Amino acid sequence: MLYDLPHADIRVKWLVTCLLATFGVTYLFGSWMVGLYAGFTPHPVAVTYGSPEMNMAAMTMQPESTTVTEHAMSEEEMGAEAYTVDRKLLVQDTHVHMPMYALIAAALSIVVLGLRMKRESTFVLITLLFLAPWVNFGGMWLTKLVSPQFAFLVLLGGYIMAFDMTIITVVAYWQMWMPEKQGEAR
Amino acid sequence: MKQVLASALIATLLHITPTVVLVKRTDAVKQLLPDAEQFFMRQLHLSKTDGDKLGKDADNWSPPDGELTFYIGKESGKEVGVIEFVRVDTPHGPIEVAVGFGMDRTVRQVIVTKATTETKPWVLEALGANLTGTYRGLKLTDTPDGADVIKAKTGDLPVFIAHLIDQGVFRAIVAYRDFYATSGHMG
Repeated sequence: MLYDLPHADIRVKWLVTCLLATFGVTYLFGSWMVGLYAGFTPHPVAVTYGSPEMNMAAMTMQPESTTVTEHAMSEEEMGAEAYTVDRKLLVQDTHVHMPMYALIAAALSIVVLGLRMKRESTFVLITLLFLAPWVNFGGMWLTKLVSPQFAFLVLLGGYIMAFDMTIITVVAYWQMWMPEKQGEAR
Repeated sequence: MKQVLASALIATLLHITPTVVLVKRTDAVKQLLPDAEQFFMRQLHLSKTDGDKLGKDADNWSPPDGELTFYIGKESGKEVGVIEFVRVDTPHGPIEVAVGFGMDRTVRQVIVTKATTETKPWVLEALGANLTGTYRGLKLTDTPDGADVIKAKTGDLPVFIAHLIDQGVFRAIVAYRDFYATSGHMG
């Protein structure tokens, strides 16, 4: 480890504790928001991020002639609306969220560097921290531009984020606040 | 440093506040198609030619992802009206208008369904000045000018919002005229 977080000044430990708790709460609300607007299975995610004009046969290209589809629906269905993210909104979302994810990943990486774990594990955790937003947003763009089948990547990115965050939080809290066993090296 | 400050200023100016639902879509449908018993959704995925035509006719507007959606109400199999939901993006967040067309191919009624926490008071003030009343009966060749009509009755910000709502109604009229009323599918 680059520094010893479990034996750092209590103020540093408190800072990390508050940081992880705050990130944890925002991640929980993030999951709630995903549930409200997109869902946790590939189909609704594909509906959210896919282009309406795209299906398996006709990717993102505009059709040569305008296509018309019409189907009956109930009054309730007529009023219902699926939340969708069009290309302009995805550009804005990517611009706003990716830097924020990078900052969060950097902050969590600094926590990881202070944990007692193998160098390889540190590399893996840090890599996953930065990989998750790439997979998440890469999945959104591939779903929009290439095929709805890439919606699973959006979910995979989210699950990687949740997994990494959980591991780091549990290990950090354990190492910072659990009493050490007798004879354990300091 | 100047660039950082300029970026912060732009970010502040372009802040977008959360969306507020003023009228639920289901309620808008009930108000705009009171006689309808059956409902249909017609989606058009525009070709490049048609997308360009719409852009030309509607002041460079293109619908999200090149798709137009018309909601059709029918009674005993006969069409009684059509609704379009149109979003207008603003620096203060999106506004959504529901535009209902009658069988005489004029605007029957307009409802503002969504605003943002910031624009809501301006929208309500514009609506209080009877903005949507100015759209009733507009023909497919008319250009909405609600903002000019209510100018004397309200403040600058509601008039600013009214211009954007005018724009949404205009887009709906053009889309309906170019891709529904002339499609030969009516009734």
